[in-house]
Amino acid sequence: MNLTVLFDIIFWGLYAGCIYILLAIGLNLIFGVMKVVNFAHGELLMLSIYITFFIHMIFNVNPYLVVPVTMLVMFFIGIFIERLCFRPIMGTGKLNEIFLSLGLIYLLQNTVALVWGSDFRSIRSPFENDAVVFGLAKIQEPGREFIVMNLTKIQNQSIGDYIPIWLVRLPLDYVIIIFVTIFLLILLQIFLRKTTIGMNMRATSQNREAAMLTGINVEWMDMISFGLGSALAAAAGSLWCVSGVIFNPYVGSIPAIKAFAVIILGGLGSIEGAIAGGLIYGMAENFASYIFGGAWKDATSFIILLIVLILKPTGLFGESNR
Amino acid sequence: MQARDIYIYLMKHSTKFICLLVLILSFTIPFIPGVDARLIEVLIIMYVFIMFSSAWNLLAYSGQASLGHSAFLGLGAYTSVIIAKMFNLNPLITVIIGGLFTAIIGLLIGLTCVRLREWFLAMVTFGFAIIIHTITVELSGITGGHDGLPTKHLVSASVLTITRYRNEYYIILIFTILSIYIINTVIKSKIGLAFEAIRENELEAKVMGIDTTKYKLIGFALSAFFSGIAGALMIHHIGYLTPDIYSIENSFRPIIYCISGGLFTIEGPIIGTFIITVIWDGLKYFGLIYEHLVIIGLLLILIVIFLPRGFISIFEDINKRFRSVTYQDTTS
Repeated sequence: MNLTVLFDIIFWGLYAGCIYILLAIGLNLIFGVMKVVNFAHGELLMLSIYITFFIHMIFNVNPYLVVPVTMLVMFFIGIFIERLCFRPIMGTGKLNEIFLSLGLIYLLQNTVALVWGSDFRSIRSPFENDAVVFGLAKIQEPGREFIVMNLTKIQNQSIGDYIPIWLVRLPLDYVIIIFVTIFLLILLQIFLRKTTIGMNMRATSQNREAAMLTGINVEWMDMISFGLGSALAAAAGSLWCVSGVIFNPYVGSIPAIKAFAVIILGGLGSIEGAIAGGLIYGMAENFASYIFGGAWKDATSFIILLIVLILKPTGLFGESNR
Repeated sequence: MQARDIYIYLMKHSTKFICLLVLILSFTIPFIPGVDARLIEVLIIMYVFIMFSSAWNLLAYSGQASLGHSAFLGLGAYTSVIIAKMFNLNPLITVIIGGLFTAIIGLLIGLTCVRLREWFLAMVTFGFAIIIHTITVELSGITGGHDGLPTKHLVSASVLTITRYRNEYYIILIFTILSIYIINTVIKSKIGLAFEAIRENELEAKVMGIDTTKYKLIGFALSAFFSGIAGALMIHHIGYLTPDIYSIENSFRPIIYCISGGLFTIEGPIIGTFIITVIWDGLKYFGLIYEHLVIIGLLLILIVIFLPRGFISIFEDINKRFRSVTYQDTTS
């Protein structure tokens, strides 16, 4: 394994990790405030992929500009789902939530398949062939020779007099996704720490009864957290599909289940844990596919989960009293 | 004996009579004129899933809801098929061997799960299904990889199809009845009480002197055993085995059946499987490919919200009303 391959794997892991992080943080928000685990989170991701796809197809706009629109739409769909499905069963037992999510999975997957068909589709990104290239290159000019750090945006340009020593080619889409994720995470942190609603949400997730006593409308907080979780799932879904993944209505389950594994790895309710878990998973998966072959990609993440849970049953950052 | 006494007697032993009626009906169905191979096929798959959901229910009874039960279904099937092929044994024997092997693997999976609860357990079991799927596909020398394996039929395939179906129907029916009987005995025994105690409050159960680890492992092994047998029977009936048996859907189906029927009861999985199969295959029969799944999803949500104890609660309510009527009759 040379340095370039190593760098590529880490970068791909970062990209995969970003998708898991967005999903996992959405789940964590919902879990933190409502103490409900939404197993149908992957179906929200799938739905947002389809919404992005159709807005992109109908209005023929840059798919990256559709991402905020999809997030807004999914925010309201999330609120709708929370009101209709999760509100009635709040506090009736943890198994019921799993079962209700199962029903939602069937409902959403097959409604989408019914309305839009179950064929594989994909979006062509406008930056499909672009890449960020950097690394070390040797410049040969008459009379002298020196080494530069090379940072060019377009890969297809002729390299000219450069002799690459080692160059890393990062697809532009993935770079955008990583930066958008970081941007969203910062926004979320600002929202949670600086705004009144965010602080109310954190209070609700720390102690629901006490929050209620201080006059916080916890049912509003439930709705907003579910909406935000769905919006984050929408961000994950639309970014994922813009990066060129082929999708059909059944694409959501595996990423969602991995997002679960991520939050369990990081500890339920911990955002730092979700970020760490997402990155670990993204990297581990890509290393495993490189070393053992692609078939082990899905299994690896669960093997890691198993090892962590055997050693520490509450996850890496989890609180011990859950 | 007056008519009213007979009525009261019937009501008192209504469960037994219903069981008897169902048994007689299920044993005579293949000989009712108009019943073709297609219907028998549906019934066979239904029985297999009754067995599978009962096994899932047994594990849930001990407070451990698994999301990856298809792992056991597939393990039983693969073990049985491979052993039958290697040693040229009768599938009826290898089905049991498949179940036993699955029980051993179930025990090992259970060992990793004893400290976990709720989502953690759900995720780990789900992960095991994916891990075992991957291992099966990777061992393509033995398991045939993605292409799968042709399997022996339960009854040798040379006989006429409808006769083969009938014979297999009876074999699978007997297996199902036996397994439900055993599961019933287990749940009614001391082990069942321990399961219930663990499910309600694990710490209290431990304080009462119940060896929770041991009983949880027993739950895993028993559940895996019956799931393995169910998978092996199903595959020996279908005649071809692919890794699709590890699908997420196969993990979710017993859950749907148990929820809709009624969790933590013996009758729940049976009633649930029956009703959902009727809806499922009935709608499929009318050519609703995606609609039937949409309807199932909607039904599941409605059941969880409005009928949290499943269809069985409807029957229980009716029964209670009848009982109270008969009670008034006897006292007046």
